[in-house]
Amino acid sequence: MPIILENVSFSYSRKTPLETPALRAINLRIEKGEFMGILGEKGAGKSTLTKLFNGLLKPETGTVRVDGLDPSSREAKRRIGMVFQQAADQLFCKTVYEEIAFGPLNFGYSKKETEERVYEAIEAVSLDRTALSRDPFSLSGGEMQRVALASALALRPDYLILDEPITGLDPAGKKEILETLKKVKEMGTAVITVTHNLKGFFPLLERIVLVREGRIVFQGSRESYLEKGCVPLPPIASMMKELRARGMQVNPVAFTVEDALEEILRVKSTFEKEDNEN
Amino acid sequence: MIRLEKVSYSYPDGTPALENINLAIKKGEFIGVTGKNGSGKSTLALQLSGLLKPQTGRVMIRGMDTRDSSKLPGIRKLVGVVFQNPETQFVGRTVEEDLAFGPENLCLPSVEIRKCVDMALAETELEKYRHRSPKTLSGGQGQCVALAGILAMRPECLIFDEVTSMLDPESGITVLETIKKLHKKGKTIVYITHNLEELHDADRILVMKNGKIRLEGDPESVFSDVSLQSLGLALPSLIELAENLKTHGVIIPWEKTSSPESFAEEICRLFLKT
Repeated sequence: MPIILENVSFSYSRKTPLETPALRAINLRIEKGEFMGILGEKGAGKSTLTKLFNGLLKPETGTVRVDGLDPSSREAKRRIGMVFQQAADQLFCKTVYEEIAFGPLNFGYSKKETEERVYEAIEAVSLDRTALSRDPFSLSGGEMQRVALASALALRPDYLILDEPITGLDPAGKKEILETLKKVKEMGTAVITVTHNLKGFFPLLERIVLVREGRIVFQGSRESYLEKGCVPLPPIASMMKELRARGMQVNPVAFTVEDALEEILRVKSTFEKEDNEN
Repeated sequence: MIRLEKVSYSYPDGTPALENINLAIKKGEFIGVTGKNGSGKSTLALQLSGLLKPQTGRVMIRGMDTRDSSKLPGIRKLVGVVFQNPETQFVGRTVEEDLAFGPENLCLPSVEIRKCVDMALAETELEKYRHRSPKTLSGGQGQCVALAGILAMRPECLIFDEVTSMLDPESGITVLETIKKLHKKGKTIVYITHNLEELHDADRILVMKNGKIRLEGDPESVFSDVSLQSLGLALPSLIELAENLKTHGVIIPWEKTSSPESFAEEICRLFLKT
């Protein structure tokens, strides 16, 4: 069963002079086990969208269903894990262990079951068990972000929702989080992330949802996103788009350094052949 | 303009943040500072602005020693810092009031304060937002307000500590363009970032690790240094592609690697021989 949004609209400060429409007529289906990216400019409504998935916000019109459940129900909350941009904002315990155990204990799992889940979660995010006794606020940015991730994973969610999870991390920290998310996805959890960081995330995204001014203006596979020439694009893909605009016959779906290299060399050899024939 | 002589600094819990740093920043230079989280970049920014004092060594800002507190007002007029999150830097109810805060604290006469605010609004193209609350602006505009707030004090040197990392790419470009314009007008810029792409046009780049400067040079030589990865940094994708193409005999000159447009243009020029 998926997460289904049908004809959802949402405004902030409803029925006040400050009413601001944030989302309009959203229809979206998120399947189990997929890796989805929500792209769009700041203020487009991306974060608002993610808050509808788990009942943090309630739609003004339309319905949201999580595996057929009301998103604010207890069971739906267990199935959806959420990680925000600034990990430090969502950590509050004295040790990493308490932090990760908070969710399972709160859901009434036994101490033993909780312990099992803490170990499982810390392993999933590739942190050493010795980190469990540390103060989460003494960790590096990347480690803190992994603790926030582990806390979400300890409830064994079916859907993991992330809002800009690698912003502000250095390249090594970014890589750690990306690799962890890849592993989480391989274990069967759907990963849905809001991101501006296309260089890092683009290779992982199976499906893309592009939000502009509160509406979904594109949803589909990464390939069709590239073929349609949507923006934003990672730097290599925008360079390939420029090449096509200048009449070069390169594959629109190329977006990695390796793909681009292959395509450019292929085009080069066809030009050289033509030269020889003339 | 700013000189660091054998500067070391450790935080109260004993973590060394800077070790024996020697550095001279010339007037009008654009210096990029990069390195992993925890490499000492932000501590360096705080030292350069006199917000932190060295435990050993000294920092001289136009001949003023930052350890001498009587010199601090003079230093504040010369050097300003802009931080990562604009929202934590707002103090005024409107953009205008926010910008006036700095000059007011420099005890300037009100005619003068008005001039400073107008000048800062013009430089950052924020005139139309002068009566808005800074909190209602977008991330990019907000960061420009933070920048204008510093500009209003007319510093000669501006330090930027990861000012684009919380912005979407478009807004990030706007902020960086504004900073580059200030540099062209003669301001000395120290720009801290993880994103090497932003340092393509810097005069000089410093790469830090564990509180030390590990690599220093112009962007072209720093980007082509093999030790970059071991310092925890990632090359911009276009630079990486250019390096790969070079091994196949396709040479993209350095200045063409700064944007997807110029890169594509160069490839077309090479292949189509136009």
